[in-house]
Amino acid sequence: MKSYLELVPISAKVHRRQNRMSVFCIVLAVFLVTVIFGMADMFIRSQIMQARMEDGSWHIALRYINDHEAKLISARPEVTSSSWYGILNYRGDKGYTLSNKNVAILGSEESWITEMQIDAIDEGQYPQKDDEALLTKNAKAALGLKIGDQISINTPDGKSLSFTISGFLNDFSKTMKEDSYAVCLTTHEYRSIYPGVTNGEPADYNSIFYVQFSSRCNIQNAINDIKSQFGLTDEQISGNTKLLGLLGQSRNSFMIQIYSSAFVLFMLVLLAGILMITSSLNSNISQRIEFFGIMRCIGATPKQVMTFVRKEALGWCKFAIPYGIAAGIVLIWTLCDVLRYLSPKYFIGMPYFGVSLPSIMAGICVGILTVLLAARSPAKRAAKVSPLAAVTGNSNALPTVRKAANTTLFKVDSSLGFQHAISSKKNFILMVASFSLSIILFLSFSVTIDFMHHSLTPLKPWTPDLSIISPEKTCSISGSLLEQLQKDPAVKRAYGRMFAYNLPATVNGEVKKVDLISYEENQFKWAKDYLLEGSVEEAQSGNNTGLTVFKQQNASNTGDIITLHTENHSADITIVGTLSSSPFNNGPDVGTIICSENTFRELTGQVDYTIIDLKLTKNATENDVDRIHKYVGKEFIFSDGRLDNSSVKGSYYSFGLFIYGFMTLISFITIFNIINSIAMSVSARMKQYGTFRAIGLSNRQLIKMILAETLAYAITGSICGGTIGLFLNKLLYEKLVSFHWGEQWNVPFPEIGIIITIVILSVILAVRGPARRIRDMSIVDTISAQ
Amino acid sequence: MMEILSVQHLSKIYGEGKNQVHALKNVTFSLDQGEFAAVIGESGSGKSTLLNCIGALDEPTSGNIYMDKKDLFTMKEEQRTIFRRRNIGFVFQSFQLVQELTVEQNIMFPILLDYRKPDQSSVEEILEVLGLKDRRHHLPNQLSGGQQQRVAIGRALITRPKLILADEPTGNLDSKNSQEVIDLLFKASRHYQQTILMITHNSNLTTSVDRVLRVSDGILTDLGGKENEKLS
Repeated sequence: MKSYLELVPISAKVHRRQNRMSVFCIVLAVFLVTVIFGMADMFIRSQIMQARMEDGSWHIALRYINDHEAKLISARPEVTSSSWYGILNYRGDKGYTLSNKNVAILGSEESWITEMQIDAIDEGQYPQKDDEALLTKNAKAALGLKIGDQISINTPDGKSLSFTISGFLNDFSKTMKEDSYAVCLTTHEYRSIYPGVTNGEPADYNSIFYVQFSSRCNIQNAINDIKSQFGLTDEQISGNTKLLGLLGQSRNSFMIQIYSSAFVLFMLVLLAGILMITSSLNSNISQRIEFFGIMRCIGATPKQVMTFVRKEALGWCKFAIPYGIAAGIVLIWTLCDVLRYLSPKYFIGMPYFGVSLPSIMAGICVGILTVLLAARSPAKRAAKVSPLAAVTGNSNALPTVRKAANTTLFKVDSSLGFQHAISSKKNFILMVASFSLSIILFLSFSVTIDFMHHSLTPLKPWTPDLSIISPEKTCSISGSLLEQLQKDPAVKRAYGRMFAYNLPATVNGEVKKVDLISYEENQFKWAKDYLLEGSVEEAQSGNNTGLTVFKQQNASNTGDIITLHTENHSADITIVGTLSSSPFNNGPDVGTIICSENTFRELTGQVDYTIIDLKLTKNATENDVDRIHKYVGKEFIFSDGRLDNSSVKGSYYSFGLFIYGFMTLISFITIFNIINSIAMSVSARMKQYGTFRAIGLSNRQLIKMILAETLAYAITGSICGGTIGLFLNKLLYEKLVSFHWGEQWNVPFPEIGIIITIVILSVILAVRGPARRIRDMSIVDTISAQ
Repeated sequence: MMEILSVQHLSKIYGEGKNQVHALKNVTFSLDQGEFAAVIGESGSGKSTLLNCIGALDEPTSGNIYMDKKDLFTMKEEQRTIFRRRNIGFVFQSFQLVQELTVEQNIMFPILLDYRKPDQSSVEEILEVLGLKDRRHHLPNQLSGGQQQRVAIGRALITRPKLILADEPTGNLDSKNSQEVIDLLFKASRHYQQTILMITHNSNLTTSVDRVLRVSDGILTDLGGKENEKLS
C-alpha cells in the first residue's frame, strides 16, 4: 500500500452491502436525468420532424420584397435555401379546374420542393421546363395519369392551359379533404399565367419569399440584420414559430414562456437528483462514523478524511454513471420504438439506436457534480468525528437530542417515531424537502398535460376517414349508397346525416333560424358524452323530439316546444335535452336542433342524406379507397380526411407518450425516493431499534414507530410540497396555458389526489420493507448491525 | 427457594461446516428467586451468547430455557416480546438509553410500551433509590456515565421483573461508579427479591454476588460461592 487512499477500494469491498444502496441511488439519479433529458431531446427531435413534414423546413417568410432583394438575401452565407412561393385558386374560388375538380396552382423554385419540403415528390421530378408541371398524387389515380401525359387546366375565362406531367406530388391534407387537385409550376410559368398582372412585383402574384437558414447560425441575429439592411417592417417578416421554437431560435413571446417553463422543470429534475444522492451519501457516512473516528485516531487529518470520502464517492460514480446512462439509453430506444410503431408516417425517421448527447452529458454532469457536491457535507461530518468519540464508542451517528419526546399526547411508540423525525432539524428539512420535491415535480409537470390538451385536439371517435358530401349541401345522397357502403368490407362504420339549414322556427313566440340535423344510433351514442340535461334516448326514439346545442344566446331550452316552418308545412318539435357542444359550426344567431332520422323525414319530407361519414377498417388500403371513390362517383365531394387524422394522431401520440412518460417517471421518483429515504433512515437507527426490541418493543410497535416517523415527513412534505407545487402549477399554467388560450387556472384537485395517493402508497411500501427486514433479523444482529 | 430460571442442555452453534463455532456446549444450571449470580470468563468464551439466549434475544441451537416454568422458545415472537418486557430487565454495558426520552421517561419506558399508566409512587421510589430525583427531567446526553447506568438499572427495575440480565454493567464506568452500580443491583436482589445474572470481567465485583459461574470455551462451570473466596 503506497497511500492511505488505497484503503478506498478495500473499504468498498468490506462495506459492499452498505455501498450498494448509495451506488443504486446514483445509478437511479443518473438514469432519471438521462431519461428525462433523453426523452426531452427525442421529443424535440420528433416534433421538429413533424413540424418540417407538416409546415415545411423553412424559417422565415418575407412579403412585399422585390426579386433583387430576394437575390441578395439568398446570397447571404447563413442562408442555405430560399424560394419564391405563390399560389393561385387556394380556396377554390377562382374557377381553375382540372377534369371538373378545383385545382390550386402553385409556383415555386425547385428548392421549395426539394429542400424546404420533406418528401414532397412521390414520383418524377420538379418541372425542368415551363410547360411541365408536378401534379398531386390523388389526380394520378382518379384520372389514370402517368409521367409524360398532358393535362389541361381550364381557366375562368374559358381558356385552357396545357402541361406535361413531370412528376407527382404527395397529397396535401387540404386537397384530400376538399377533393381537389394541385399543380406545381416553375415560378416563371406561374407568373406568366397569373391573371391580370404583367411585369408586376412578386407580391402582385400572391408570392412570398421563403428562407431557410443554416442550423448553426443565430437565426434571430440574421433576421435582425436582414430587417435593418432592407428596411423591412415586422409585418413583412413572419417566422415558422413552431420550428424556430423547437430549434431554440424563437423570440416569439409564447415560445419564451415555454423556454422559461422548461428551465423551471429542468431545475426541479436536477434538484431531485441532487437530493437523492445527498441523502444516500449522508446516510452511508452516518453509518460508518466510527470507522472515520478510528481513522482520525490512527492519525488521519480531517482533510485526509474528506479526501477519502470524496474519492470513495467518485469510485461509486465509476460504476454508477455508466450503468445509469446505459439504462436510460435503453429506455429511450424503447420509447422511440413505441413512437415509430404508433405513428410510422411521422416518426419512421426516429433513429433505431439514437444516442442523445445532451442526455448523456446531463447524466454525467449530474452524476459527478452532485456526488461531489453531495459528498461535501458528509465528508465534513466525517472529518469532524472526534478520535476520542470513536475509541470510547460514543460516536453516535444519530443527532444529539435537545428536547425530550412528548409521551403524553401519543403512545410511546408513535411519540418516539415523531421525535425521530424532528430530532435533527437538518435531517428533517432534507427529508421533507425530498418528499416535497416529488410533489412539486408532479404538480409542476402536470401542467404539461393541460398544455397538451390545449395545443392538440385529440381525434374524436366520430372523426371520419372519408366523407361523401352533397356539393350543394342538400339531401341528395341516396340511402341505397349508404347501404352499399355499409356492406363494403373496407368500411368499419358508415352513417349519414341529413341537414336542413336556416329553417325559420318560432321559439317562445320569437322567430329564429335553426339548422335541423338528423342523427342515427352511432351519433346519438357519442352525443351522450355532451349531454348537459335531458335525455338522448327520448330524442332518438321519440316522435317529433330533438336535442338543442347550448349557446350563450340560445333561446331554446330543454322542455321548449319549437315550431319549425318548412317549405310545405309547420310542425312542432319538443326539446328533450341540451348538448354542451356539437361538431358543427353555424352562425351565432342560428340554433342547432338534432333529431332522429324519422323525425327529420316527418318534419322536412326529405329522405336522402347530405353527408355520409365513413370510418375505415384498420386494414383498408389505398386501393379500397380508390374503389369506394369510383362507385361513389364524381357527382359528390369525396373528402379524404385520413392525412389530417394521421397528423393529429401523430402529434397526440408523440406528445402523450412523452408527457405521460414524464409523469410516470416522476411517480417512480416519488415512490423510490420515499422508500429509499425511509430505508436509509431505518438503517441509521438499526442499532437503536435493536435495543428497543431487547427492552420489549414488539414488531407491531416498531412498525408504528417507523410509520409515525414516515408520516411526520409525509404530512409535512405534502403540505410544503403541495403549497410550493400549487404555486408553481399556477405559475406554469399561466405561462403555458393562460398566456396563449386565456383559460383561468383552477386548483388541480385530481392531480393533488393522484400524488397524495402515490405518497400514501409509497409510505406503506416504505414502512413494509424495513419492518420486515428488522423482524427477520435476530435482536442480537440488529443491535450489532452496522 | 423458588426456581426462577432453569437452563437445560443449552447449546449454540454459529456458522456452518468448517466455520462452525460452538459458542455454548450443553450448558445446564438454574437460579432461584433473589439470587445474585455473576458469569465470568475470557473474551469470546460465550458469556454474552449465554446472556442473549437467556434473555430470548438469540435463539439457541438446542436445549431449553424456562423462566418461571415457562419455555421461552415455545412462545410466538410477539408473545415472547411481551413476556420479556414484563419479566426480564436488561442492563447493557453501553447503557442503551433512549436519547429522546428524559430520565423519568426512560425509567417508565417498559411500562409505556405495555400501554399502561406507570405507578407514580414506584417511579418516585426508584428515582429515590437511584439518587436521580433532581435529574428526572434531564436527557441522557446531559448525564454522566454512572448516572446513565443508574437510569438503565431503574428501567430494568420498573416492571419488577423476575430476572435482571446485566451485560458488563460496569464496563464503561470508573471504580467508584462501578461499585455503586453493583451495590444497586445487590440492593435490588435483596430488597425486591429479584434474580440477577451479571456478566463481568472484573473479579473484584464478584465479592457481592451469591454465586459465580465461569464460562470457558462454551462450557459452563458452577464455581459456587464468591469467586474471590474460591481463588483465595
